[in-house]
Amino acid sequence: MTDPVRPHLPDMIRLSGYLDGELDGATQREMETHLAACPPCAERLAELRALTAAFDALPQDTLGFDLAGMIAGRLAAAPRPSPERPAPRWWGLLPASLGAAAALTLGTGIGSVLIGGGAAMPRMAAMSVFDTLPPGGLCLGPDSCYSKGARK
Amino acid sequence: MIRFTQEQSKAKRMTAGIDDGEDVQLAVRAQMGDRPAFERLVRRYQDRVFRFILRMVGIRDEAMDLAQETFLKAYRALPGWRPEARFSTWLFQIARNAALDALRRRRHIDFVSLTSGPDEEAIDPCDTAPLPEELLADKQRIGLLERALRELPVEQREILLLRELEDMSYADIAATLNIEVGTVKSRIARARVAVLAHYRHHAGESCHD
Repeated sequence: MTDPVRPHLPDMIRLSGYLDGELDGATQREMETHLAACPPCAERLAELRALTAAFDALPQDTLGFDLAGMIAGRLAAAPRPSPERPAPRWWGLLPASLGAAAALTLGTGIGSVLIGGGAAMPRMAAMSVFDTLPPGGLCLGPDSCYSKGARK
Repeated sequence: MIRFTQEQSKAKRMTAGIDDGEDVQLAVRAQMGDRPAFERLVRRYQDRVFRFILRMVGIRDEAMDLAQETFLKAYRALPGWRPEARFSTWLFQIARNAALDALRRRRHIDFVSLTSGPDEEAIDPCDTAPLPEELLADKQRIGLLERALRELPVEQREILLLRELEDMSYADIAATLNIEVGTVKSRIARARVAVLAHYRHHAGESCHD
């Protein structure tokens, strides 16, 4: 593209970017130098400029009425925008979860004290069927009831 | 040469009444529930949004409905907008989606694959063979341009509209279309080549005469 003598295919991407002022500074300068010496590229650039001018000449259609006034009623009926609250982070929930756990534990403890052992007794009695101790027995065996010293 | 283009861009922006600072202020107020602030934003952008949609879908009544839908969606989505994003870019994203949805519903969308960009596929500059500036000057030729524009694949049409009519920078176009800036650069070039080729076709010219 930099050889001004040999005919070449104009780089339309560069030309288009040049037209829009979207090339970096060095490429922009390079293009300026090239365009000064390359009639085909200069011609393509002129076409792109003509196209831009034609877009500018397109009719400027307008709505022709106040859209804001027309939708005012629907805006009023729509939910009022409010800034999004960020999602709570897990450590933000920590005090609440600790409090909940403490309250649960405390409640369970108080409940069991108030109820007493009554509710647990039938279960214990039922389980005693499978205990190694015979019902009414105090010790697993003589060795576990009496220390060696006491036997002496 | 480029100075001319940049000055032209500035002039376009001024006539379009773009003031990002005021947009941000209004949008922030609207986020906090200030409805009149949002209504001001609607008034600032209603014609631009309408024009963009109209050129996308081609039917005035439908464009009016879609413009209305765009602002209602924007109002509902406003809590998600962040001042780091340009309000106009954000709004045009919504408008574009509304237009694409409408085109899909009509099944008029042209699913021409643009995955093979011009980096892989060379652009034939003959497609843009000499087109004197005066050819595009009068009303009849403006009609040809409008027709050529309508015939472009939607991906090329939307990017040309954002660049040529909305005067968006490549970065803003990339944000609006959710594509890379490099893709914007190549797609705009392809779209320009394509619209000129369509124009020539309708004008009865031939590239290879």
